Amino acid sequence: MIEFRDVHKTYETGNEALKGIDIKIEEGEFVFIVGASGAGKSTFLKLIMREEVATSGEVVVSNFKLSKLKKRQIPYLRRAMGIVFQDFRLIDTMTVFDNVAFAMRVVGASQREIRRRVPYVLGLVGLQGKTKNFPAELSGGEQQRVGLARALVNNPSLIIADEPTGNIDPELSYEIMELLTEINRRGTTVLVVTHDQELVKSFGRRVIEIRQGLVVSDSKEVPHEI
Amino acid sequence: MRFNTFRFLVKEGVRSLRQNFFMSAASILVLVSCLLITGCAYLVYENVEHAFDWAYQQNVVVAYAKDEVTDERATAIKAELEAQSNVTQVEYISKEALLDRYKDEFGELLEDLQADNPLQDAFVISFQDLTLFDETVSLVKTIDGIDKVDYDQALSETLVKVRNVVLTVGVWVIALLLIVSLFIIANTIKLTVYSRRREISIMRSVGATQWFVRFPFMVEGIILGSVAGAVSYGLLFGVYEIIRQNFTFSSSLELIPFAVVWWQLLVGFLAGGMVTGILGSTLSIGRYLKEHTE
Repeated sequence: MIEFRDVHKTYETGNEALKGIDIKIEEGEFVFIVGASGAGKSTFLKLIMREEVATSGEVVVSNFKLSKLKKRQIPYLRRAMGIVFQDFRLIDTMTVFDNVAFAMRVVGASQREIRRRVPYVLGLVGLQGKTKNFPAELSGGEQQRVGLARALVNNPSLIIADEPTGNIDPELSYEIMELLTEINRRGTTVLVVTHDQELVKSFGRRVIEIRQGLVVSDSKEVPHEI
Repeated sequence: MRFNTFRFLVKEGVRSLRQNFFMSAASILVLVSCLLITGCAYLVYENVEHAFDWAYQQNVVVAYAKDEVTDERATAIKAELEAQSNVTQVEYISKEALLDRYKDEFGELLEDLQADNPLQDAFVISFQDLTLFDETVSLVKTIDGIDKVDYDQALSETLVKVRNVVLTVGVWVIALLLIVSLFIIANTIKLTVYSRRREISIMRSVGATQWFVRFPFMVEGIILGSVAGAVSYGLLFGVYEIIRQNFTFSSSLELIPFAVVWWQLLVGFLAGGMVTGILGSTLSIGRYLKEHTE
């Protein structure tokens, strides 16, 4: 599903963000990526989403070789994944329904498909009663669930969650993580970037720790210091 | 593209226009000003052309035939003159007919000339293109049987100069204003692009293609441009007709009615507005997407 082969990334400023990463994440896995800020987590995600290109080495995501990916193919790579952001990134002027439908419209789905699929996904995240609400009328946890529904709606094989619980109350964080676990149980690969050690501990999944641009541990054990 | 997607994108464009209402209105106003000045320049040009045509009709060249020219030869000369590519019309006036005309004007004074007519047979020639005046006059002079050619070269030269100046200035004014309009539209769209950068980033993260991101902005540009085009057209029509109907410069030379140029202006305004709209939005969204490459 995701493979990094000796990946280096140096920015134009000279900042060496990744210094030779080798990782393989199989289909159906649930993986936590942990590390302090500035460790290289964001660059790691940006390379997967092809927001950045590796300076050397190869990144493969869902059979797309990213070093050879043409610019016009990028949208198709991104359609293979659903992304959940720390700041939710909802459109304030659109209802919950439209925010989720937006992702389907972008890929050219028909009105009928949208009417069938959006309520189903909103049901999965427990927001069936909130379809006509605007983001400002929802709690942080609910907003993040809208973000999750939007990431899920196009049925991607990979979900990437970038600090999904960073902006919500701890008790609600578990709800979001439970949802991600449920999604993973249905066969979707889930990659969660977080610095919430407690959360990582309680889920007991594979954890990859990045420190100073290198993978310092890759196991189901939680590293001692993050 | 599915109709559903098309409708969605058009709605997005309209929504964005409404969200940036004041900026949109301001840019429509500025674009209207530019189009109005362009339209005025065009109307001035058309009127100068019209005046030029009128003046040119007054400005004919008269070629006189030599005394020995027979009626048959005169007919042949007329045919030769008509065969010239720059000649549109040739009127033959025999010296008898010419005398009759003068007699109408001067009456009995000329009575005595009847027996010994000192006048010459004349050919009144109209030219098509006054810029080729000299060449055509020279050609007329070479025709066998032509004695001399009378013309007012200074007037024709002045007319040609005036037209060229109006044309050059007009083209520059229009070009300059189109560029100004382009930047105004580009600037408005740039602001809406920035106000919608969150949506753009969301679109891209869920796999929107480049054109999908661009389309609503193009719709916005097209609407801005065509609204400005329509408003300017209406204004220009109203103001011009009021001026035309209330001010008369000369009894023989009037401003051309708007009806003569209505479709050129309509097509010009709408097309001009829309092209500036599309180009302006393409410029700014293109630059934004380039700066924020992925």
